[in-house]
Amino acid sequence: MNGIRFDKLRVLIVDDNPHMRRLVVAIMQAFGVHDYFESHNAEHAWSHLRETNPDIIILDWQMPGMTGIEFARLVRTSPRAPNCFVPIIMLTGHTHIEQVRQARDVGINEFLAKPVSVKAILSRLINVIEHPRPFIRCATYFGPCRRRKAVAAYKGMDRRCSELTSVD
Amino acid sequence: MAKDNKNVQIFMPPNNLRAKLGGGGYIDSDIVSRAEMAMAELQTEFPDWLAEDIQALNTAQAAFSAGRNTDTAGVLFRAAHDLRGQATTFGFPLIARIAASLAKLMEGLAKVEVALKDVPLPLIGAHIDAILVIHRQNIRDISNLTALTLTEELEGRVLKTLARAGL
Repeated sequence: MNGIRFDKLRVLIVDDNPHMRRLVVAIMQAFGVHDYFESHNAEHAWSHLRETNPDIIILDWQMPGMTGIEFARLVRTSPRAPNCFVPIIMLTGHTHIEQVRQARDVGINEFLAKPVSVKAILSRLINVIEHPRPFIRCATYFGPCRRRKAVAAYKGMDRRCSELTSVD
Repeated sequence: MAKDNKNVQIFMPPNNLRAKLGGGGYIDSDIVSRAEMAMAELQTEFPDWLAEDIQALNTAQAAFSAGRNTDTAGVLFRAAHDLRGQATTFGFPLIARIAASLAKLMEGLAKVEVALKDVPLPLIGAHIDAILVIHRQNIRDISNLTALTLTEELEGRVLKTLARAGL
């Protein structure tokens, strides 16, 4: 049985710190990822997004110039974004719940607090590959559904269940 | 297409990623050990990386002290924030805590828009000095009493400073 073909995955890593990029690249390579691009700031990543056309973006929050949050907002909502559904994993030193909420509210798929660990990165990758969430579009938000937990004890109506459709 | 209900649309984008990567949820069992080995191999470079990050913090502090403005304050915050995120990976958890304390100070003061001239340079300097000492003495143990006491003292002073500023 063959596992997930990470060798086919195309990853964009956006982080101003060269050491963190090196660390993430080493982990990606060990997973089997050959096709990766590094950006040292969000402006660079944004201007090359169409040509890099990543399957997944691993994004730092704090960078000089455009922040990771601003970049994620552009990816999700700009008419110039090549793929507004691309999964974004935010890898950051921020750990407060308010900051997790802020990241969630611009459409981040997965939040990963530093220090990095192999298992944590792998679990976030598997989540976006194997368990993608539906997308929500409303006046104030566009991005993956922010309700993550399937509450087993919930006995009420699944009001939106019938509305779930695929986008062709 | 997705349905529209009360101006909220919910839809499932096509899962191209799963189609492209296959696997059916199965993960190569060696993948974690391979990646951990790759990280272990990098560990020989961690001391140099940490030294560079500390030097960047030191340089940022010097620039901020020489010319206090939002740019130099931002560089100092980001240098502290970077160190906070990475020092644990590099084997220095107390440096991560002290860097976190400094990042909290800079971020907090920026949030309440404290005049840059009122940002307490000695407290910033004390954080940098503590980081330098812990690094120089190679204190990796989180329970080292002297280093821990110093860390807690700095964290306490930052909390007091932010409280005085209205946070």
